[in-house]
Parts: sequence; C-alpha cells; structure tokens
Amino acid sequence: MSTTSPFLDPGPLTTPGALALVHLSRDNVLPIYLSKESGTVDGYTEGAVINTRFGSFPHSTLIGQPWGSQIRASIVDTGSRGRKRKLANVVDVDATGNDTEAAASSTSNTKDVKTAASGFIHILPPTPEIWTSSLPHRTQVVYTPDYSYILHRIRARPGAQLIEAGSGSGSFTHAATRAVYNGYPKDAKDKRGKVWSFEFNHDRYLKIREEVQDHHLDGIVQVTNRDVYNDGFLVDGESPEAECIFLDVPAPWQALPHLSRRKPTQSQLASSGLEYPKETSPEWKSPLRADRTVHICTFSPCIEQVTKTVEVMRRLGWMEIEMVEVAQRRINVLREKVGLNMPLERGTNQSPRNVVEAITKLKQIDGRFKEFHKDKQETDVKMEDADAEKKRGDQHGDANVVENSADSGDSLTMKPWMAGRLIHRTEGEIKTHTSYLVFALLPQEWSEEQEAAAFEKWPCGKEHKVIGSLDKETRKQEKRDMLRGIKDKKIAAAKGPDPAPKKSKTG
Amino acid sequence: MHSLVEPNAWVVLRLPSGNLRVLQVAPNTTTSLGKYGSFPTNLIIHRPYNITYELQDRKPDENFNRLRIVPAAELYADILSSDADTRTAEDATPVPDAEGDDDAPPTGIEYSLVDSDSGTVVATTDRVEIDASARQTLTIEEIEALKKDGTDAGRELITRLMLSHTAIDQKTEYSLAKYKLLKTRKYIRRFCVLPLDIPMLNYWTLEDKDASKIMDMREEMIALLGCWANVHFGGSDPCEAQPIAKIKQEGEDTSMVEPEPVQTSCPGRWLVVDDTSGLLVAAMAERMGILYPSEADRLAKEQREAKSSKQGDSTGGRQPAPKDGEDTQAPAKPTDEAEAKREPEDAAQPTSPKATHKRPPEHRRDDYIPYAHANTITHIHPNSQPNLSFLRYYDFDITNPNPNAHHPLSKHLMTLSWLQLLEPDLDSTYSSPPPNVTPEEIYSWKTNRRSTFHRKRKRWIRTRHIIDTTRKGEFSGLVVASSMDPISIMRHTVPLLAGGAPIAIYSPSIEPLTELADCYSLARRAAWATNTPEEVAGKTLEEQEQWAGNEEFPLNPALVLGASIQTSRVRKWQVLPGRTHPLMSSRGGAEGYVFTAWKVKPAEGKVEARGHLRSRKRKVDDQSAA
Repeated sequence: MSTTSPFLDPGPLTTPGALALVHLSRDNVLPIYLSKESGTVDGYTEGAVINTRFGSFPHSTLIGQPWGSQIRASIVDTGSRGRKRKLANVVDVDATGNDTEAAASSTSNTKDVKTAASGFIHILPPTPEIWTSSLPHRTQVVYTPDYSYILHRIRARPGAQLIEAGSGSGSFTHAATRAVYNGYPKDAKDKRGKVWSFEFNHDRYLKIREEVQDHHLDGIVQVTNRDVYNDGFLVDGESPEAECIFLDVPAPWQALPHLSRRKPTQSQLASSGLEYPKETSPEWKSPLRADRTVHICTFSPCIEQVTKTVEVMRRLGWMEIEMVEVAQRRINVLREKVGLNMPLERGTNQSPRNVVEAITKLKQIDGRFKEFHKDKQETDVKMEDADAEKKRGDQHGDANVVENSADSGDSLTMKPWMAGRLIHRTEGEIKTHTSYLVFALLPQEWSEEQEAAAFEKWPCGKEHKVIGSLDKETRKQEKRDMLRGIKDKKIAAAKGPDPAPKKSKTG
Repeated sequence: MHSLVEPNAWVVLRLPSGNLRVLQVAPNTTTSLGKYGSFPTNLIIHRPYNITYELQDRKPDENFNRLRIVPAAELYADILSSDADTRTAEDATPVPDAEGDDDAPPTGIEYSLVDSDSGTVVATTDRVEIDASARQTLTIEEIEALKKDGTDAGRELITRLMLSHTAIDQKTEYSLAKYKLLKTRKYIRRFCVLPLDIPMLNYWTLEDKDASKIMDMREEMIALLGCWANVHFGGSDPCEAQPIAKIKQEGEDTSMVEPEPVQTSCPGRWLVVDDTSGLLVAAMAERMGILYPSEADRLAKEQREAKSSKQGDSTGGRQPAPKDGEDTQAPAKPTDEAEAKREPEDAAQPTSPKATHKRPPEHRRDDYIPYAHANTITHIHPNSQPNLSFLRYYDFDITNPNPNAHHPLSKHLMTLSWLQLLEPDLDSTYSSPPPNVTPEEIYSWKTNRRSTFHRKRKRWIRTRHIIDTTRKGEFSGLVVASSMDPISIMRHTVPLLAGGAPIAIYSPSIEPLTELADCYSLARRAAWATNTPEEVAGKTLEEQEQWAGNEEFPLNPALVLGASIQTSRVRKWQVLPGRTHPLMSSRGGAEGYVFTAWKVKPAEGKVEARGHLRSRKRKVDDQSAA
C-alpha cells in the first residue's frame, strides 16, 4: 500500500506495475499491467508485448511516457517465437543455450526496439468510466449513466462509508471508491471514506479481491465473501457505520432487515413474509451510521422485485421512496452527403440534393434524349444540323457552368471532411432498459432525551421575527424597516467619517 | 456533513402540497408555513434532517405550536393497509368506509409520487370525483371555522370533509384514496426538513426557480459531468505543511520564488467554465469534499461560540464527534482563544462567521498565498467578476475580499477571467506590481496609506499566483457548462490539460456539441494525420498545441481522443400496490447533452495508421492529390 491507486492519482507518467488502459477504439480498450521485466517473456525478446490489430507494442515502449501519449507500434518478431519454443521442447540440450542467447539478446535489444512504419495506440490513465467499458464481464455491469446518478443520489461524497452488496464485475466498486475517497487511512484510528463490498459468489469474490490489490485500493475497499441475506453486513462483528448503501442483489428485500437502526420486530417482517435469520450474537448491532441520514439504492431489473422491495422498505420505515429508470443514448455525429456531385465514396448518397438539382438533371436527360432522336429523325435536314450542334454545345456548356457555380462550395474547394450537412442520430444499438433504481432514505433516530436536550439549548417563546412565507403586510413592514436602516446609515455617514459605513460595505 | 440542522444553515422545508421553501434557519425566530401555520424555528435547530413534523395544537399555557415527529408507520398506514386489502381480495374492489380514515392519511413523498400524475388511472369516474365540491355538504364557512379552531393538525377537518361527502360510498377504492390525498395535501399541517445539498439545490432551482439560470441542467447531467471529468478528491496538498511561500520583489524583476511542490504525484486540479451561477462549481466542490466545512472545523467554531456566549456545557455527550477525514485539509486554526472574543453574542446575525474571525497570524502577512496546490478548482469567467452566487447557500461569498478563511473553498477555489488567462499583460491588477519600498518607508506612511499598500500588494500576489499557475497548465480535467461556443473554449483550454486528462462539456442543446464533435471527426483526423496543414507541419508539438486553428481545422484534432456525445434521462415511476406505472408527466425543456473526450499527446512527426483505417485514408490522399 505504498502507492496511490492509478485510479485516484495516476501521476504524471506511466510507471511499471501500474494499470494502464490501451485505447484502440471507443469500445475497445485493453487494460494492461505494465511490466518492466527485461528478460524474455512468453518468447518475446523485447519483454512483455501486447499485440493489437494496430501493431505490436513492447511494454518497454509504454513505460515512462506521459499519460495520454500516442505510442507507435514496434517491429516485433511475432512469428518465430512459437517455433522456438517448440524447438526447445524437442531438443533438451539446446534449450539452455537458446534461452541464454535469447536473454542476452533481449537485454541488448530492449533499449533499441525498432519503430514500425505504421500503427499506433494511445495510452490512457485508468478511470472508472474507461475501466467499465473495458471490463471483463462477470455479471451484468452497472454502466456509467446508472452509477453516476446513483452515487449522486445516495450522497456518496468524500469521507463517506458505503456498503455495496453484490460486487459483481466491480464497475460500481471502482466508481464508488473514487466518490468516497479522501485519502488512505494512515493508521487504524484514521477513518477515511471506504467502500464495504460484499460478494456471495466465491469466484467473483476472489477476482474482485485480486483486482482491489492490483489497483492499490486496499484500505479503501474492503471485500467480504458473504451471504448478506442471512449474515448481514457486520464485518468482524464491527459495524461499517455506513451512510450510503447500494444493493445489486436479486432479492434486496431479504437484505433490508439487516439494514435497520434497531432489530426489526417480528410483526414488521411477518407481514411481508420475511423471517429474521437466526440469531448470531446476543446483542444486535446496526451497520448504519447513527448520526446521519442513510441513503439507499437498490438495482433490480424486474418490476416484481421493485414492488416487493418498496413494500418492505415501507414496513421498515424508509422514507422518500422513489423509483426511477435511467435511459441513456449515445449520439453519433456524422456528415450527410447528398448530391449529384458528391465524390464517390462510402456513405454518400448520389441523388439530387434539392429540387433545382433534380430538375436540372431531368432537363439534361430529357435534352439528350430529344437530341438523340432528333438526330435519327432529321438526318435529311442538313442545314440545321450544324446549328443544332452548336446550340447543343452551348447548352451543355451553360449547364456545366451553372452546375459548377452551384456546387463549387461543395465539390471543388471544400475538403471532403467538411462537405455535406452536419447531422446527429442516436447510435444503432441502444440500451432500452438496464434496471429499475429504487431510492430511499432512513433518517436518524431521535429520542425523547435528545429532543429534551435540544429544546433546553434552543428554548422557544422568545421569537422576535418571522421568517418563511410572510403575509403581505409583514413583508411591507420589513421593507420599510430596511429602507429606514439604509437612510440612517447614510445620515450617519454624512455626519462624519465613521467606521460604520465601511463595515456595511464589507459585511 | 448533514447531521443536524445547524443554526443559520440553509434548509429546505417541504410542505404537504409539495412546495419547497428555502430559508436560512435563524435562531429565535418564528417560521411561517403560510396556510399550514407557523412554529418557532428553534424547534428544528440541532434536530436531524429528513424528519417529517406535524404541528401540534397549542398548549393552553404556551404561545407557540410544538412539533411532533411523525413516524413512518403512520405515514404509510394507508398504503400498507390497502396493500393488505388487495392481497386478501385480489379482484374485488372493496369500498372502504370512512371510519378507518381518522388514523393518519399518508403524506411525505408518497404525495409527490401520486400527485404529479393527475390521473391515477383505473377508476373511471376519476375526473368527476376530483371536482366533487358540489357534493360536499360542508360549506366554505364551516371549513374555514374548522381550519381556524380545528385540532389534530388538520386531520379532524379532513375526516369531517370525507364524512360529509355525499357520494363517499360510491367512490372506488382508487378515487377514494385520491380524494383523501387531495384533501390531506390541502389541510394537513405537516412539513419535512431537508438539507440544501447539491441534488436539492439543483431540484429546487430547476422546478421552482429559474431553470434557465442553470442552463436546464438536470441531476443526471451533473452526475455524468462529474464522472466523465473524473472529478474526485485530488489528494492532500504537498505544500500544506510547508512554511509561507516567499516572494522576492527585486527592483525590476518581480519573479516569484515558490517552494516547488515535490512532484511525486500529479495533484488533482480541475479547470471549470461555469455559466450556471456556480451550481457546477458547487457540485464539483461537493465531489472533491471542499464544499462543506469539515467536521473538525465546525466543532471548533461551535466551541468558540460556546465559549464566547458562556454556555459551553450544554453540548454534553449528544454532539457527534467523528473524526472526519478532512482534518488534514482544515486550515490552521487560531490557537489563541482571545480571537473569538469578537464573536457577537447574538447568534441571530446571519452573516456572523464572516468578518468576525481574525485571520490566523500567517494570513495577516501580505505575501501569503492562501491557495492550496492540490484538490483545487480553477474557474474561468467571461466577465470581470465571477458569478458564483449559489455558493452563498454554502456560506461562501466569492465577492468578499476577505472570505471566511475557515471555509475550504477559500483555499481551493481560484477564479480568473478569460482576459487574465489569455492576455494577462492587459489585466490591470496583474500588470501593475506594487512599488518596491523598504519597510522603513512603509513604516513612515500613514496608516491609511499603509493598509492600502498592503491590500493592493496582497491582491496582486494572489492574482499573479492564480494566473501563473493556471497558465502553467497540467490540469487533471476540464468541466464546462457554458453558453459560449465550445470550440472557442476548447481552443484555449485543451493546451492547459495534462495528458490523459478527461474533458466533459455540457450543453442544453446538441448543436454546439455536434459542431465540436465534427472538429474531431474520423475524416478530419485522418486528413490531419496524412497531410497536416503547412502552417503547422514545421512546428514543435508544443507550438502545435497552441495553434489557433484555421477554417479547415478549427481545432487541432490530434490533441483529443474519443470524442463522443451522450444524453441521459431519468424517468420516475409511481410504485403503489397494484398501481405501479411511470409518472404521467415530467419536465420538458432542454434535453441536455454531454460531450466527453480525453486530452492526448500526439507522437512527434508523421504517424501512419494501421488497420482498416488505411483504405479510407488512401482515398483521402488520392483526392487531395487529385
């Protein structure tokens, strides 16, 4: 835990061991852990290499670069390494010799990897957004439009304690970590923003725990392998003291009884068909932070889940229950190229651009047609022939001139990337439904004693002013008082230099 | 952050009608809720947020209404019982009698869920029943009389209204529920205290105030902007612990000698262009943890206040004292308690915390730079003064020359105008350093002149610091919500970004963003790569970044990667037993779009693409050659 996670502070340059995202195209991002190993890796003399359709890139060319750098492809021998290894397997004796040779050549080669003639990639620092799009899917992913809204609504802010049940693919985990992060805890007492993540599936748990380690998030993310329906949210018997909760589990209502201020009564649960799981410890501890309003969001794809969740929430005293769905659309911006004079390339529509163009073209065709037949019919009329020829030529020339002047803007001087009309449309494939989001909050408890203490500190009965919605008469009176106050000050200022007017200026 | 209602905090009161009242909780006043009654403001001070209160009847010996906390079970009684009903008799629609109605009708959020869809469907006689005053046997006079001396927070009145409705037994279950709701919203004397945090401020401005003032920016848009711009807590200041920055002022050369922050990491600094009166800045500050004073600060302030008013014993035990992570961010606290003496006894003065604290000793020096080096927001504004008026709800006033030094924003928010950024020499403050005078000379001056000198020098040093650090660039992200042309903004801000820094631009309508995205279209980028304009080709990368653009390439397309536009909209649903459906209507107006991209650093020289792009590029090549 010596370094900060590249998600939270990537630093100015790419460093060995850190996660970097190789941007191939918008929906094709490759997460890689930069490796400094200089020896032969996987048969490559250059060390670790990534191969993409844009070329091969030894890690050594990616390390020590400023983030966002464009990196050229290198000439890497991708063909012979397989053969070499096979050879090594067959001939035992030669293997050692081969290896040493490779190692020797690699040490000398790492520095001068040859740049390829073409091909490049960009290397980006990891953010939860790019990570989400490059994610190795394990379960359904919570995408950016959803998680951004959820984190905003459940008030996940720096310093908050956040419970996440169902780590899933980890996209929400990363985003939530960024939201609550306010520094790494320096010691056990130093309480910082933290994500308490619970995952039922053991494989996914191992995977997410590995990810947390690889991304240097220990201390900010605590992953627990747990069936939260039965075993609740306490970690090592201690309460996470959470103020934000995100439940991405199939049956959120089964987890809800654990998320109460105090142990739910039998009647609260029985009416919604729930049973409080077996007793684990004599005294019941709440995983919620006592002195804050707790915000929750559940994420369920089906409406039946929502109905059930909301009902249980009502019984358990959650307030301001609200259900929403988020619809995101990504928008393509393109140039629509319509016109007879458009260059012939993909995406252009070579039909008339407007009525004038259509008519011009029709006239042209009609004219040619007529002339063609005229030639046939009036072959005997030789006198007029020459004239007609001349005329035809003139007409043709005129038409060309008109055409040129009309389209000069588009076809001649205009560059192809500026031609056509700028339009936008929704992308071909849209996500019409991700999940329903149920939001609710649980105010803190307020006892009679607390109320009495507060009442003593802030006694009533000595009110001197009314705020809030006032009737007209009061408002008028207030305005009059204010104006009089200004007048008094002016008089005072006129009388002599006094500190009073200065104060009023700054205050 | 929002644990208990602090005195003089801004809160939102939500009334049964769904209306919001935003007010500053001044102690020792009466809060009026209009037709719903009034109560002493002290009754909500140091009480929790998000609680629904009911105005109780006055006790005979008191001249004010006490409040009662309405438990959730009471609020949901109707829904839960109707849920039980539907379960026992699925297909029948039993007509509930009015007896059960005097135990609490529903209120709170369930209203707004039900209310905004003015046709709760199913019941066919709906419309007729809503306008049922003809069948109401209570006269207006009677209702008024009941309102005046009715008890039980208006519930008696509601019950009477329902009982005296002639057609109550003809109503279906749904129309009855709605009738009751309608009457409840009108007469029940309840309200809910909500914190005025960013989601609430946004909602209130959008719905109740002027939506155009915040460019119709919905919650989901703010959330998207924050995420795509990767705005988060940007690390502690590496210079925080170091002593005061020293500035040497030589006769001719006014160079600034600053302790270079140890470049172990790149600190989080975000660049903002905000035309939403500060809502965007506030939202980002919330994400970075610098919008609300830290817990430790708040406690310290409270202690000072308590000490000055000699009643420091009543905080006993109840006060939460969690160690908030932000202590490291907290500015140095004045150690001598004598400083608190000037704290006025009367806490009712709403602007009390501002000019009353003396600044800590180091702040008094005129060469002290009060800004942090990490986790900062740099705001560029088009006018000579920034418009960040929404920040006043968070106890921060940018126009105050001596802002509340204990507010985190005073250290972490810097503002400068476009002129100061692009042509600093034309800025009068920046270009006129104060005269170089010896301390003896200053000492000989009159106090008046002396203080003017120090004030001007202080302003000059601050302005210079802001301009110089901003022009140095290396920002971690750019967030824009501006009515200005995004292309012109990008031209000047992209060079200031660090490599890999995200860019997020909001626009209420899509056209400005499509124009911007077109500057980074595939065809244009390919054209740039194959034959870069001559005026650029010979330049270094750095000069290329600063290039002003021409008609064919308004922006250097090689500097930005992954340009894309998206929009997102949240649709609200009503969830009631047997009556679940999307709300019938919601806000229209601007749809709102977000442009996202990353700043990248192109490789030096000509870069050939590989892969399927090639064929297209060759074509472009051919054309330009032809």
